[in-house]
Amino acid sequence: MKVSLSTIRAMSKRYGCAEDVAAVGVGELIDKVNAQLGGIDEIIAIGNKYEGIVISKVIGCEKHPNADKLHVCNIDDGGAVKSVERDNDGYVQVVCGAPNVREGLIVAWLPPGSTVPDTVGKDPFVLEARELRGVVSNGMLASPKELALGDSHAGLLEIDGDHKPGTDFAEAFGLKDDMVFDIENKMFTHRPDCFGFLGVARELAGIQGIPFKSPDWYRPQPELSNTETDELELYVRNELPELVPRFTAIAMRGVKVGPSPVWLQVELAKVGQKSINNIVDYTNFFMLETGQPLHAYDYDKVKTLSGGDAAAIVVRNPKPGEKIKLLSGKEIEPRPGAVMIATDRQLIGIGGVMGGADTEVDEDTTNIILECANFDMYSVRRTSMEHGLFTDAVTRFTKGQSPLQCLAVLAKIVDEIREHAGGKVASPVIDDKHLDESLGGQTLHVPVKLSADFINSRLGLGLPAKEIKSLLKNVEFEVDIKGDELTVTAPFWRTDIELREDVVEEVGRLYGYDHLPVELPKRDLVPAVKDPLLTLKTRIRQTLAKTGSSEVLTYSFVHGGLLDKAGQDKNQAFQIANALSPELQYYRLSLMPSLLDKVHGNIKAGYDEFALFELGKVHGLDQGADEAGLPREFEFTGLVVAAADKLKKQGAAYYQARKYLTELVKAPLEFKPVGEGAQKFAVVQPYDPGRAAMVHIKGGAYLGIIGEFRTSARQALKLPKYCAGFEIDTTALQKVLGGVHYVPLTRFPKVIQDITLKVPADLAYQELFDAVQNELNEHKPQNTLAELGAVDIYQPESAKEHKNVTLRLDIASYERTLTDDEVNKLLDQVAAAAKAKLNAERV
Amino acid sequence: MIDQKLAEALKDRARTGDQTALRSPELKSLFDQLKTLPAEERAAFGQSVNELRQELQSLLAGARDKQEQLPPIDTTAPFDANTPFDARPRLLDSGQGSVHPLMTELAQILDIFYRMGFTAVESREIDDDFNMFGSLNFPEGHPARDDYDTFMTVQKDKQNRPFIAPAHTSTMQNRVLKRLKPNLEKGEPIAAVIPGRVFRNEDLDARHEHTFYQLEGVYVDKGVNVGHLIAALKTFLQEYYGKELEVRTNPFYFPFTEPSFEFMLSCPFCDKKGCQICSQAGWIELLGCGMIHPKVLHAAGIDTNEYTGFAWGGGIDRLVMMKYGVEDVRYFHSARLDFLRQFA
Repeated sequence: MKVSLSTIRAMSKRYGCAEDVAAVGVGELIDKVNAQLGGIDEIIAIGNKYEGIVISKVIGCEKHPNADKLHVCNIDDGGAVKSVERDNDGYVQVVCGAPNVREGLIVAWLPPGSTVPDTVGKDPFVLEARELRGVVSNGMLASPKELALGDSHAGLLEIDGDHKPGTDFAEAFGLKDDMVFDIENKMFTHRPDCFGFLGVARELAGIQGIPFKSPDWYRPQPELSNTETDELELYVRNELPELVPRFTAIAMRGVKVGPSPVWLQVELAKVGQKSINNIVDYTNFFMLETGQPLHAYDYDKVKTLSGGDAAAIVVRNPKPGEKIKLLSGKEIEPRPGAVMIATDRQLIGIGGVMGGADTEVDEDTTNIILECANFDMYSVRRTSMEHGLFTDAVTRFTKGQSPLQCLAVLAKIVDEIREHAGGKVASPVIDDKHLDESLGGQTLHVPVKLSADFINSRLGLGLPAKEIKSLLKNVEFEVDIKGDELTVTAPFWRTDIELREDVVEEVGRLYGYDHLPVELPKRDLVPAVKDPLLTLKTRIRQTLAKTGSSEVLTYSFVHGGLLDKAGQDKNQAFQIANALSPELQYYRLSLMPSLLDKVHGNIKAGYDEFALFELGKVHGLDQGADEAGLPREFEFTGLVVAAADKLKKQGAAYYQARKYLTELVKAPLEFKPVGEGAQKFAVVQPYDPGRAAMVHIKGGAYLGIIGEFRTSARQALKLPKYCAGFEIDTTALQKVLGGVHYVPLTRFPKVIQDITLKVPADLAYQELFDAVQNELNEHKPQNTLAELGAVDIYQPESAKEHKNVTLRLDIASYERTLTDDEVNKLLDQVAAAAKAKLNAERV
Repeated sequence: MIDQKLAEALKDRARTGDQTALRSPELKSLFDQLKTLPAEERAAFGQSVNELRQELQSLLAGARDKQEQLPPIDTTAPFDANTPFDARPRLLDSGQGSVHPLMTELAQILDIFYRMGFTAVESREIDDDFNMFGSLNFPEGHPARDDYDTFMTVQKDKQNRPFIAPAHTSTMQNRVLKRLKPNLEKGEPIAAVIPGRVFRNEDLDARHEHTFYQLEGVYVDKGVNVGHLIAALKTFLQEYYGKELEVRTNPFYFPFTEPSFEFMLSCPFCDKKGCQICSQAGWIELLGCGMIHPKVLHAAGIDTNEYTGFAWGGGIDRLVMMKYGVEDVRYFHSARLDFLRQFA
């Protein structure tokens, strides 16, 4: 929201609203606005653009000797500009090509050295004295476009009013030293009134403790003119009272459309608006002043399109296939729910968004309809978003303007147009309203009752009721105090004061949040509870980082193609309905596809060997709902190891992944075959069942899966040959991770013995190991510490039927020194049992 | 409808790994047939032809997996048979291992809040309308509810509304307030921070991510006021940056707090002198915050006559970008080792 400080000061003075709100100086005012109203995005010293421009009078105007379309003028600048060449009368020669240049005209002269305002900040054009077709021109006379006031380049800006030659242009029109504040719109989301100068001026007063009084004409039930001339028949039918709670309109006859007075053009330019013509400009200006958008239609065009003797306006939804050509020139087919303004034959505008081209006010217009209405903010927003139409009216209506201000603003614009553009009221006021007027039409919400204590306890203050009242009265609240209780009635333009907390906000802001006592809440010594899952995840991260792997974060959403490549089923995944990017079609079913997707890129980037891991959440349609009816979320930890093909790594990558898993979990694990039944689980699907295993804590919980990947996935994702990974349930680690299983030390020496067993080739290592372990446990001497480990697995090329497994026993007693002989005997017993049970031969 | 016999024959071929099934004249004939159908039948037929094609593709992939399968291995063993000792699995150098910088930062932030007496709860990644909007005082029809900014699923919840990928960690507020409400009955405050991954449906560039991390905080007790909010956040930020800072608030608007503020701190990198990080402003806007809206407390069954509270939320990604001068937010989710290993 842009506001000019000089506009606000002039307005406050004109209407007698308040004493000077900028008396504290710009610097302090900026700080106060930031702290008490909303962040200022930008401060524009608008006057800089207009430096050096002098109001001058055209004294002489003759045809250029060498050019048909040019004139040579003598202008009177009151001698304001120094170093410039003058004739004997003291006038300055300027060549001008505008068709409307003539003697007596008051113009804006851009003397040599000044910059064309429209070029400031783009590609600045600095004027000089130079010859045009052989005649010297000292600078130029400016058009509205060159002055950045409008799009018109057709002729010079004709300055109206009483301005002496030699007056500084910027000073004459309140531009000099003016500051335009651009305050963040978001702050005013619930403050429609602050999208008008009046609202901002009131706040500027309020935050400085200055009483503010709205202009007399700004009230819910203003005086309206009666029909003053031959009536122009006008009907309004509102078919959408829910979306259009108020629609007011009036017709005027005999207006004179023309350029706006220069002051008005300047006011619009300050906030970045272009002048169009006086009628449109006045409606825009009063929108800027009050926040209430207005629209002017050409009465006769509406009447013609109504096809009768009267202008008929219908508020309705569009019919299928119906189109409208907008003021912007664009033609659209409005969305079915849009609020449309129509005649009884065709569409003529989108309510609250933009008018139509067919009923535009132009230079031939003499009769007009003025509309001042209220539209549903959400409906306006949907229409604006869907058609990409962003107008000043949209900005204001989407904040939900108060419908109680419509008549006041309509009455005001009628008065202004009558005074400045001629025209007489030619119809009764139409006021189609569908409002709850149980509160007398003076306020929108039931007055709020609350105590001073309620306010003070929430602000940490001790303000007396009287002071609270005075803060609120400054911005025109009505406050009754009875004992400790305040009854607060919001003014009719405030849409946001419903609850006691809303009043607290208002008081805090007007008082100044930057003046509140700042202190920490007191707390007792109860320790805060650390979240076990977050703590566990931190632990997993640290452990895996210690193994040389790198944590990655990949998106929670994946492309359907990635699920295909990994062998997963899209139909099991939650699908995103509205993603802008095709990369984000589905919630991921497991982490592994995303991790595999990141392998090839890192290998290409020159990383030959690495491990990537991620801790994340996964979701699936087949996972059911939690107690709140929401999709269940699973916490997974996934890791992938990979080595570039050029390293020619030996052995299966599976064992590398297994190394990482055992390093992470540390508790004994069990690796079970991946059965057919497991194939329905998404987490299993990327793996090659022959080179993968389901992982359990030994004798305990299921953890997840580990393995190498199916051929189709390896090919589709360009994985190197040496690549494997695991994905386990993070929460299942909770029970096993972090516990330390201390084993008391022994002071007796340990004996180390290897045992090699020749076993059938298809005997699982684990089975043999477990059998040996069991035998050891059974036969080892009491009170000993025995540890069994793998040394070698050997299968000669020639031997298809068997393999040799060498295990190593580390054994020590807590009571005595064990002898080699004793341990040998123990191993003999183990070997005998292994032969009996597993057909294993000791080698 | 598709000729069932023809479809089955194609599937049989795909099952055996016959790659020509996909390019077969039979399949092509189905696409040709599509063009001859009346418009109203075309969509359904086209869909079933596509489904058939996808099924053939997945059957072929399955067949290839079987045909080109590597020999099975003994997954219960610690290493492969015949692997020489020096080629046995070995962990990588621990020096190159790294925790993701966002997660490192999060752990540091959590540590400070734990010390300040806050517990922590992680945010969800799929949620419903009630938690995301309804319980947070977003009226029906509020702009944030429409699908321009928020990811929504095709699947619907019990109220027939789509599930939502939360756009802010505030989606956890109602749950956390309800879960910790017994604290109030014991005379203790509700004090919790909520870190989590959140999503905004926007296009990616160096400064915009659709996936990022936020940390939310809530504090509720008797007599909590705006001054407490400012003091708590200031205390946290001073601890985080390890220096004295100035803070200020700008009034702002959020549906779930009243009053609401943008929270600014004096730039910790230049001490208000003006630098690249603070765009020469000397101040950094870091958080949104405010007093919890009474309707939000009500929705969690908390009596607003007795209790008041404050809440805040801020991004983690930006803290990390400022701290290390990371120039492109997309690196965080790129899984690039050249990025990640710098944080080893």
